[in-house]
Amino acid sequence: MYSNQSRRCLSGLARLAAKTPSPLSPCEAATLSPALGRVLSHSHGRLATTATTTGTRAFSSYSGRFDQARETDVAESLFYSQRQSEPEPTTSTTTRPAQAPPAVEPGPLDGIRVLDLTRVLAGPYCTQLLGDLGAEVIKVENPEGGDDTRAWGPPFATNIDEESDDHESAYFLSVNRNKKSITVNIRSDAGRQLIYDLVRKVDVFVENYVPGKLESMGLGFKQLSAINPRLVYASITGYGQTGPYANRPGYDVMIEAEAGLMYITGEEHGPPVKVGVAVTDLTTGLYAHAAVLAALYARNRTGLGQHVDCSLLESQVATLANIGSSFLIAGKEAKRMGTGHPSIVPYQVLETRDSHIMIGAGNDNQFRSLCKVLQLDTLSENPLYRMNRDRVTNREALIQILTNRLKSENNAFWLQAMEGKGVPFAPINNIGQTFSHPQVLARDMVQEIEHPTVGKIKVTGTPVKYSHTKPSIRTPPPLLGQHTDHVLQDILQYDDTKIQSLKESRAI
Amino acid sequence: MSRIDKSGPTIQSLLAKTHQEKVADRDSNQNSDKNDSSTNGSEARLKGRPNSSPSDIKGGGDSAKVPAAPGPLDGIRVLDLTRVLAGPYCTQLLGDLGAEVIKIENPKGGDDTRAWGPPFAKNINASDPTSSTLQESAYFLGINRNKKSVTVNIRTKEGKKLVQDLAEKCDVLVENYVPGKLDEMGLGYKELSLLNPGLIYTSITGYGQTGPYRNRPGYDVMIEAEAGLMYITGEKGGTPVKVGVAVTDLTTGLYAHGAIMAALLARMKTGRGQHIDCSLLDSQVVTLANIASSYLIAGQEAKRWGTSHPSIVPYQVLPSKDSHIMIGAGNDGQFKILCTVLGLDHLPGDLAYRTNKDRVRNREALIAILSERLQTKTNSDWLAALEDQGIPFAPINNIAQTFEHPQVLARDMVQEIEHPTAGKIKVTGIPVRYSETKATIRVPPPLLGQHTDEVLKDMLGYDAQKIKALREQRAI
Repeated sequence: MYSNQSRRCLSGLARLAAKTPSPLSPCEAATLSPALGRVLSHSHGRLATTATTTGTRAFSSYSGRFDQARETDVAESLFYSQRQSEPEPTTSTTTRPAQAPPAVEPGPLDGIRVLDLTRVLAGPYCTQLLGDLGAEVIKVENPEGGDDTRAWGPPFATNIDEESDDHESAYFLSVNRNKKSITVNIRSDAGRQLIYDLVRKVDVFVENYVPGKLESMGLGFKQLSAINPRLVYASITGYGQTGPYANRPGYDVMIEAEAGLMYITGEEHGPPVKVGVAVTDLTTGLYAHAAVLAALYARNRTGLGQHVDCSLLESQVATLANIGSSFLIAGKEAKRMGTGHPSIVPYQVLETRDSHIMIGAGNDNQFRSLCKVLQLDTLSENPLYRMNRDRVTNREALIQILTNRLKSENNAFWLQAMEGKGVPFAPINNIGQTFSHPQVLARDMVQEIEHPTVGKIKVTGTPVKYSHTKPSIRTPPPLLGQHTDHVLQDILQYDDTKIQSLKESRAI
Repeated sequence: MSRIDKSGPTIQSLLAKTHQEKVADRDSNQNSDKNDSSTNGSEARLKGRPNSSPSDIKGGGDSAKVPAAPGPLDGIRVLDLTRVLAGPYCTQLLGDLGAEVIKIENPKGGDDTRAWGPPFAKNINASDPTSSTLQESAYFLGINRNKKSVTVNIRTKEGKKLVQDLAEKCDVLVENYVPGKLDEMGLGYKELSLLNPGLIYTSITGYGQTGPYRNRPGYDVMIEAEAGLMYITGEKGGTPVKVGVAVTDLTTGLYAHGAIMAALLARMKTGRGQHIDCSLLDSQVVTLANIASSYLIAGQEAKRWGTSHPSIVPYQVLPSKDSHIMIGAGNDGQFKILCTVLGLDHLPGDLAYRTNKDRVRNREALIAILSERLQTKTNSDWLAALEDQGIPFAPINNIAQTFEHPQVLARDMVQEIEHPTAGKIKVTGIPVRYSETKATIRVPPPLLGQHTDEVLKDMLGYDAQKIKALREQRAI
């Protein structure tokens, strides 16, 4: 839920974005200052000193100073500008109104600007991670519909205007917060020129086109790094930029099939199944965002950007981890185990009267505790089951005994009985239960933000907590082209005539 | 010895530097402390060291050549107090990127996963190559390359002091103890950040440092169960299954290594480290991604789908004569092509299956028809027939087939390194290519305590007597 303060602040930001020439009251200007500070520091790390040490943060003078500072900045500093990290009031959008806004410093990527040409999941997840960390992300979308996932529903969020046909899909809303949307037809000459202009103003470029595609449009790594040698250019593809499969499009589920994950997931005697979420897309997004950070870190030493080449295939192969190692080192093939463990028994999902429970007795002590809870005390004395080795040998019989007992009571009964007994256990929570888990809530993993057309929406929080430079959710997923004018006016300093002609030529 | 000379550069500017840059500064400083001399020597060696030993690494392609520039994290030193999977995976990622990783292990056996076999790698040196006490497990070998191993009993007073000394020399510390445990031992964030304000102290736990579940130990599979992943994975109508690999551990390791680099970037501006608090639970919740959003935004609960897609048909694993094949017809055009390949040309004209909407409605009947047809030929027949037709398809590769995949090989995802006791071993390559500062595999997974003497002597400047005393006290 928003505090009034942060709501005012956001509406102020919206005006700022729209560049409405409405003077703010002193109170609003004060509230706005942290956000403004961030806007001012959007200099890919160069003019921050000028911006934050002047002390005056009046809205009216913001634009001019911004321009001037950027124009006069020519030195390529190897490090970020040293910036006083004074604590600033927050504009964060946490769900907990009772919590007084803590003094928060900007996120770790504050001052970094990202140009985002990705669509669907892996790429947008990567750039959202960067946005959560404080980067300014400018999402480039085609003017005719934008990111495919805007249409990927149901489910859609309900528009607060009941008359409106505009719906935002839950899918799009999950991976596009903390971004600005601009529409550009990158296939037009004017559109390409616009991208070149933006490339001069950004630190990072992320794209997920099939290899060679952007190059053929003049937007490849070589072309763009000639314009901006400090640019970190990250490519995310199905199979990487090289090799015999380089030109194939990548689909999460095909990679799960092709690179071992599906083969090892499923019931022991059943068919392979996919993971319930597009996990290969997500691990690739995670690899890519970290690679961007590593390249930014290296840039401080070398002064140069580089091409970072990520793929679903390789991320999936790397995340075979110990399963991959068992094969590579000892030639051991893997198999599906349901929820069971090859060398620990019992360590799996077991049936109860009304549902399932995950129970893991990792050692003989835990097995004894488990037997006590189940009132099967004699079992742990039985030579057939006393030691883990015995239990692995007599797996089937033991699982049968445990299941018979567990099926005599409901899940709730067993969950209660297991609590605090020193045996690892867990309910199999569905998504609703997951989001009402007391620890999930205590960790602020559900946050509510205000969206311009659908009103209050819930999104997942940021999973890593920083003691100082905290990640934050600052803006909702953008409407298609919501920030085109703002970006063209304020970042590129295009005048109205130029913007008008770009619109007429359908370049934006 | 890392105390900052007040007359020298500002604290801010010094803290913003890596341990290596600080040492370089001291090198040029005439007033450098005598005690630093041995350290300086080692740092110089470190700086001048070749970034990889190319002769040890064979994977073909450019990653086997001498890299043009050191990795992006060259000059960063990581103190690694983690065990098992999530933590070691995180620190291996940092090592691959060029960081120097010092893994602290208990002298009695070290990281639990050293014993997690079979499978083990054969010991090429032992007279009895099957003696398990001399073997390294495939598990450990898979996630501990590019690290040095130092044995320390952190429960002894001397061991604790040793870890504090090391923390002063490092940029990053990563640990995965239950919250509060290291605080009790004087190795918590507060204590160590006093000794080294630039330290990025990263905690990886099951449930995070706060909240009602914070003191519970974390297990990948429990988190998969507890946070929705198991519920959505499995056959439609079947029981929930876990993902075939401990994916919650891995995503947490990925989040943690990203967070460390973000904090390193922030340190350049603020001059200060910080405490980073990662957990399996939080990482799992966010990687529910669009599934989470359907619930949070529209109240739609998820369910298990096997391999099929809720709103595209056919888009799932189908049986062939001898195996399975994954086929996806994402639109009506692709469905037509599929039917041509299968010799079922009449299907797209059938009103029951013409559009995707029709196919979703008549899912069961259609899947039965396709399955029947597919079971008339073997997988390899179908794979050949589907090649280059413009529809997404894939074989369900096992692990061996995955590592024989021509693209996996072309991308250097299998590399061979030389291990002191196991000889040549294969490990997975590095999934992200950097055009300039390349990530590399420089050293094999260490033997337990392999680098204890080296680190104590060269990095901490301990003399032989002190090291001997520590050994006698069983602190190392």
